[in-house]
Amino acid sequence: MMMARRFSIAECLARNASPIVLCGAIALIVIGTALANNAALDRTVIEALIRIVYVVGLYIFVGNSGVISFGHTAFMAIGAYATAWQDCCRTTKPLLMPALPNVLLEATVPPPLATIVSGVVASLFAAVVGVAIIRLSGISASIATFAVLAIVNVIFSNWDSLTAGTSTLVGIPNYTDHWFALLWAVIAIFAAHFYQTSRFGLSLRVSREDEVAAKASGVSIFSQRLIAFVISAFFVGVSGALYAHFLGTISVDAFYIDITLLTLAMLVVGGMNSLSGAVVGVGAISLLIEVLRQSEHGFALGSLTVSAPHGTQEIGLGVAMLIMLIFRRNGIAGNQEIGWRLSRFLAPQLQRSSKVTEDY
Amino acid sequence: MMISALQILVDAISLGSLYALATLGVGLVFGVLRLANFAYGDFITVASYALIIPTAGATVEIVIGRWPWPFLVIAVAGVVVILSLASEYFVFRPLRTAKPAVLMVGSFALGYIIQNIIIVVYDGRPKAVGLWPELGEAIVLSGLRMPRLELLIIVVTLVLLGALVLFLKASPFGVQMRAASEDFRMARMLGVRANTVIGTSLVISGFLAAVVSLLFLAQVGVMSFNMGVPLMLFAFVATVIGGMGSLTGAVVGGYIVGFASILLQALLPEHLRTFRDAFVFVVVIVILVVRPQGLLVPRAARERV
Amino acid sequence: MKNRFIGTCIVAAVGAIALSGIVLAEEKPIVIGFAIAQSGWFAINDEGGIKAANLAIDELNAAGGILGRKIEAIYADTKSDRAQGAKAALEVLEKGADVVFVDLDYDMGAPAALEASKAGKISFSIGAEDVKMGAQGVGPLAFTSGPAAQLEGAAMAEWGYEKKGFKTAYILTDTLIEYNKSVCYGYEFAAKNLAGAKIVGRDTFKNGDPSIVSQVTRIKNLNPAPDVIMLCTFTPGGGAAVRQIRAAGIKTPIFASIAMDGNHWMDAVPNLSDFYYPVHGSIYGDDPRTAVNDVVKKYKAKYSAEPPFSHAFLGYIATTLYAKAVERANSTDTKKVVAALESPDGIPTIVGPYAFSHDLHIQDKFSFPIMSIQDGKHAVMDSWTTKTPFGIKELLRKGE
Repeated sequence: MMMARRFSIAECLARNASPIVLCGAIALIVIGTALANNAALDRTVIEALIRIVYVVGLYIFVGNSGVISFGHTAFMAIGAYATAWQDCCRTTKPLLMPALPNVLLEATVPPPLATIVSGVVASLFAAVVGVAIIRLSGISASIATFAVLAIVNVIFSNWDSLTAGTSTLVGIPNYTDHWFALLWAVIAIFAAHFYQTSRFGLSLRVSREDEVAAKASGVSIFSQRLIAFVISAFFVGVSGALYAHFLGTISVDAFYIDITLLTLAMLVVGGMNSLSGAVVGVGAISLLIEVLRQSEHGFALGSLTVSAPHGTQEIGLGVAMLIMLIFRRNGIAGNQEIGWRLSRFLAPQLQRSSKVTEDY
Repeated sequence: MMISALQILVDAISLGSLYALATLGVGLVFGVLRLANFAYGDFITVASYALIIPTAGATVEIVIGRWPWPFLVIAVAGVVVILSLASEYFVFRPLRTAKPAVLMVGSFALGYIIQNIIIVVYDGRPKAVGLWPELGEAIVLSGLRMPRLELLIIVVTLVLLGALVLFLKASPFGVQMRAASEDFRMARMLGVRANTVIGTSLVISGFLAAVVSLLFLAQVGVMSFNMGVPLMLFAFVATVIGGMGSLTGAVVGGYIVGFASILLQALLPEHLRTFRDAFVFVVVIVILVVRPQGLLVPRAARERV
Repeated sequence: MKNRFIGTCIVAAVGAIALSGIVLAEEKPIVIGFAIAQSGWFAINDEGGIKAANLAIDELNAAGGILGRKIEAIYADTKSDRAQGAKAALEVLEKGADVVFVDLDYDMGAPAALEASKAGKISFSIGAEDVKMGAQGVGPLAFTSGPAAQLEGAAMAEWGYEKKGFKTAYILTDTLIEYNKSVCYGYEFAAKNLAGAKIVGRDTFKNGDPSIVSQVTRIKNLNPAPDVIMLCTFTPGGGAAVRQIRAAGIKTPIFASIAMDGNHWMDAVPNLSDFYYPVHGSIYGDDPRTAVNDVVKKYKAKYSAEPPFSHAFLGYIATTLYAKAVERANSTDTKKVVAALESPDGIPTIVGPYAFSHDLHIQDKFSFPIMSIQDGKHAVMDSWTTKTPFGIKELLRKGE
């Protein structure tokens, strides 16, 4: 009896080694930040955590299905605006967004609840849109997702009475602190892990490698992709809500091509096929950006301030990403999940641990 | 009323041609070779910026922009070709055997670098070069107005399309290109100098980018650090709806996008006009859902399962 | 011997520190923290305003400073990024900024302004033209040296009506940013008060559109042609639009907004004529107010180039406003300075008196020199003070 219990704890740890290790590492960083008591560092870490939620959400769809989505930022926009509708600027809301139903105009939903609701709204939108476009494959699907982003961008920019159009909305409560962001990062990572080790995730991964074989094995690619699409939209929507509660202001043009390219780059540089890759990618690139920014800022060398010229951060980021891609084609994490060695140690009987299919 | 409808048609053809020309460059590399080059928009931008020299001041120093047009075109094309070759050597070749997603992100990174170099060197303010203003005059035939520039764009597009199709079909180089696009490794084993082939394709697409850039600049007169991006985005969309692998499809796709844009702008009621682009993209999604492989699909490209 | 020497040194050092502590405490500078774009695509827009602000700071310091204290400028780069903007504000606040000056664009500067408000400090935009840089948006500690964007449109409508006899207008709006929409809103709102003025049609385009051929066709089909085309846009799309309009043979006079100021787009429309727009002040040295021309001269002397756009003056003015308010309040305490700023007495600046109120931290009437371009040359042709009253609702573009 004792033996069985010990095995099951070890087994549990082994099965979930990857998210545990990832979340542990992130939690340590956040605790360190909390102790450091530096406002700018704090904001940098929170921004990175929000990006983790986005990229992990993106990974749930892109990583498992192999279909590149250029449109997930639409979900972030929806999440952010859904948040604004719920808890922004009580006094000016009726003036700025008169088309909202009275329920929303009079309400100020508590931010944690607003965040969840925003995620759900994004998922509902993804469900509706997904039914139309998930049937498509490969590049057509990617272009269709971009079309969705463009459509959302145009509608939000011009439906002035609903979203205040191109105007910047101010007055969203600043609820996202490092603990709240950490909480959602952990939820996202564990959700992604449970999804990808579930029957649904595995079926989808099979279709990523070989669509024909998957179909022959009875996998309904359409359903599986749609499920992944909706789940991933939830987290990306949540990241939008977190962002809104972080900056306190939102405007439509923040949710378009720039953030799309950045998050896609983070996913690919980290490793598109593994959850660890998603997290590591965000960490690596966020760190890189900060280091380069500091170099522009300057270091004190004795009585001199040595600083890199303006533009170093952006150009340096591009160059560094290229180098990382050239030297590690499969991303930093390769196709591996962090912690698979640990899980093999803890429960060797789980031979098919969390090591995922490798590329040839 | 009759003239109005015809004029709308004429306007649609004129915008369509600009998009078609841009799509041609993308279609060659993306459609045929399946190489997603998201720095293409920035190649277009560089071509225009090659006309001026960087200064810190507000006034623009136009140098190459003042040369007679043959030299101007050759010089600008030369700049973009060099840029294409450099990109091939430093970015695309090292990533040749990587997954498409990696190549995509790699080309984003390249584009990002180019854009920021432009901002640092030229600053973020738009610059004007009133290129070939005489082309702005319109030819008026029985009340229908078509600017000479648009006629030139149509002619250039069709000529280039014809030349490229011939090139792909008839020349050994073209055959090798199609072979390399279908199966890179196999092609190399069969003796195709795939790197040369792909490199040359990039050079050709660079030349096309230069042509698009100059004609676009002649249309708008003002360049900015991200001027090529909207064109490139529409070009990628048009390539896919036109049919991957088919150059004619790329041109058709470009015309469709242009037509949709103009028709909607002309016919939508005033309060819906600001949503024009949303409607255009809905049209795109509809086309993709109805014909996922695009409108014109070359026989070889159909999946046989 | 050695011990005595060291001892003396220590005493001397302590004494010096104590003395300097007293001396420094009296001369602690007033710190203006600039959380603005020094790099990235937006930097060029802030540049003129920052340079002009520094000009103002130099002048004030040369005259002895404010309340006997020198003004010191510290900077943090927003890198044209909103999230970084918030961090930049935090940085200057940490370094002891008494006030935070933010980007001249409301959308870009809002996050930085919010941080300043949260820290209980005043934030001043170097030229935002959106009323939300104030109590209706960022908060009661936010101010801007800009006139409301609607005023630009109103000025053109009124001036065109009175001085040029323009009654019918066609409005073409670039829908990319809020500012454009506000300018055209202001035009239409003012036109409502002008007897016989009529908007014969409206159309929109988006900055960056490769072609506005449809919009141009619509204008050409107008019969009779409107007296004027009101174009609410900025470069590059604005330059492209004017080029295409004129190339189509449309000779109708064109009105635009301050965003079209500057020489950089002139080559797109060679020999442009009949083009008019308001400015905060003329950068060409021919402003009707000598104070403005003086600033242009001093700017040229210090930076070997004239200001790039008239928004530069707003940077100068922001510094003036803050400095004068501190003087009147006799302290840098936020509450007192805010009260001084909101005082109905107003504060004189190089373009005229500015007045804020508890509800309005932006100018709701303004005197604009009217710039005209004839044959590609810029010249101030007239001056106009807006008459149409704008309430908060109209400034939020929600009035009817």
